Amino acid sequence: MEISSKDIEGMVDVHTGRIHPAIYANAELYELELERIFGRTWLFLCHVSQIPKGGDFFNTYMAEDPIVVVRQKDGSIKAFLNQCRHRSMRVSHADSGNTKAFTCPYHGWSYGVDGALVNVPLEPKAYPQGLCKEKWGLREVTRVREYKGLIFGNWDPEAPELEEYMGDIAWYLDGVLDRREGGTEIIGGVQKWTIDCNWKLPAEQFASDQYHALFSHVSAVQVLGAKPDGDDRHLGSGQTARPVWETAKDAVQYGERGHGSGFFFTERPDANVWVDGEVSQYFRDTVDEARERLGEVRALRLAGHNNMFPTMSWLNGTATLRVWHPRGPNQVEVWNFCIADKAAPEQVKEAFERSETRAFGPAGFLEQDDSENWTEIQKVLRGKFARSTKLCLEMGLGNERMRDDMPGVTNYIFSETAARGLYKHWVDLLVCDTWAEVHERSRSYELELVK
Amino acid sequence: MNAAVIETPEIPEDSIAPSPALDAVLHHEITDFLYLEAEFLDDWKFRDWLGVMANDVRYFMRSTTNAQTRDRRKSVQPPTTWIFNETWSQLERRIARLETGMAWAEEPPSRTRHLVTNQRICAAADGDGYEVRCNYVLHRSQKERDLNTYIGKRVDRIRRTAGTAHGWQIYFREITLDQVVITSHNLSVLF
Repeated sequence: MEISSKDIEGMVDVHTGRIHPAIYANAELYELELERIFGRTWLFLCHVSQIPKGGDFFNTYMAEDPIVVVRQKDGSIKAFLNQCRHRSMRVSHADSGNTKAFTCPYHGWSYGVDGALVNVPLEPKAYPQGLCKEKWGLREVTRVREYKGLIFGNWDPEAPELEEYMGDIAWYLDGVLDRREGGTEIIGGVQKWTIDCNWKLPAEQFASDQYHALFSHVSAVQVLGAKPDGDDRHLGSGQTARPVWETAKDAVQYGERGHGSGFFFTERPDANVWVDGEVSQYFRDTVDEARERLGEVRALRLAGHNNMFPTMSWLNGTATLRVWHPRGPNQVEVWNFCIADKAAPEQVKEAFERSETRAFGPAGFLEQDDSENWTEIQKVLRGKFARSTKLCLEMGLGNERMRDDMPGVTNYIFSETAARGLYKHWVDLLVCDTWAEVHERSRSYELELVK
Repeated sequence: MNAAVIETPEIPEDSIAPSPALDAVLHHEITDFLYLEAEFLDDWKFRDWLGVMANDVRYFMRSTTNAQTRDRRKSVQPPTTWIFNETWSQLERRIARLETGMAWAEEPPSRTRHLVTNQRICAAADGDGYEVRCNYVLHRSQKERDLNTYIGKRVDRIRRTAGTAHGWQIYFREITLDQVVITSHNLSVLF
């Protein structure tokens, strides 16, 4: 059986808010996604702070393809498929490090940090006819770009430039990347773990779903909030002891071109999430600089969920930045980073790392609830009837509007505008051959939403 | 090609130290205490378990990384980060969360078996008690048919404390998992 474009279009109906759960479990669709989504979009590789010097490398993935990102001698950054051109073995095995060459452990072919094949053992004897080494360098990722410290790669020469691709999500992302002079850095290493669920479940949640927090995270809210006797010493000053949705002045969801974000308005620079006291104090201490750089809305936007299509998610406040590397239709591998202002004092950076771990590491108070839901969903979707019973995606349907204090298509935070946008963009990329068609569809959908 | 230089790997001193001579009765007392502590977790007696954690306990696990031998010799390795980084009050909040009955990763709760083995015990360097190094298996059976096995090593430090189970408390626990990518969806159980 081969899935047609018509089949795919039929799986997502953004006008009535219905989706077909086969999109989360179909192996054929997954193969198509690797080519038409992960092969065409901008994917997060690493942060510049992780490869500061020439020869520094960081091993990651673009979807299922192993990629080594390496700082060149001239300071520029290149990324290569981590695959020896002789017999497909990996040429770089450590998580990160510094090197002069990438040498394949199978037959010893050796590549420079610029990807050029420089040494082939016994070359004159083994290749008496001659080997044109210039032709057999590591395959280079077509385009590598940096956005305020984040490095992205893209295989597609026709894809729009990174900033054009990001569109208005860049405004939201700047709320993390550009709070202070000097930008951000990754604190510590990377937490890596697997979740047996389709990549779209976590991507959708981070794009669109604040609604789950009320119930999914009720246990964390109960034990991390104020105690009945008023003993809330474990909360840092400037944190709300009660869930933010009870006290927020306003709450917004943004969703456009597959990207999504949501957050609450507060009156003061409160973290609104359960971070160490040093972190919440730091937000208060630095709010003037942030206000000057980003304006009032983003300076106060210290808690929020976000996803840049397809798989880069982050949370303001708890400093979580992560990628959902797909591992087949039924699994993701989470790579979770702690991102914080470079200019923050050392003890604040440590507090960021502790807070991020406790909330959203693999053992995190809030993280545990999310992964449990997604794995259980994926199990349900093994069922023939479960896989064909339509799901409700109607929240906030028709209430989209443009605001003058922030860019893009918005809605009330408890809505599914960003989720509908994510699946709409997913369909568009799967069925359209050109980016021009994708853009035309995106544009007409946005106009329709806010007319 | 250059001839390979054969280097003798540097072995950290502490790992070649002779097995410390410890009174057999004391050895038995300490291992038995750690079996009891494991039983508290396996029997979901989390408050009893908390009772054998000292008020100043540090309970932590860092991520594991892949580093090349030549970098490890130079003590260069990719940066790691926390998986657990807990104080007594953080552990208490974890248990309070389980007690809500709405901590969905543990609702219904996992069945666990803590297997603690290869204990080597010596006086703790900080002079406060004893240090127990062991190999460690945590088997977790979750929901209908999910099985996870976590294998690694543990370094515990324990001290005598009157009025607690077997008269001991744990004031330091460092867990190291062998896995680089943790192949389970969360770590909602205690190690």
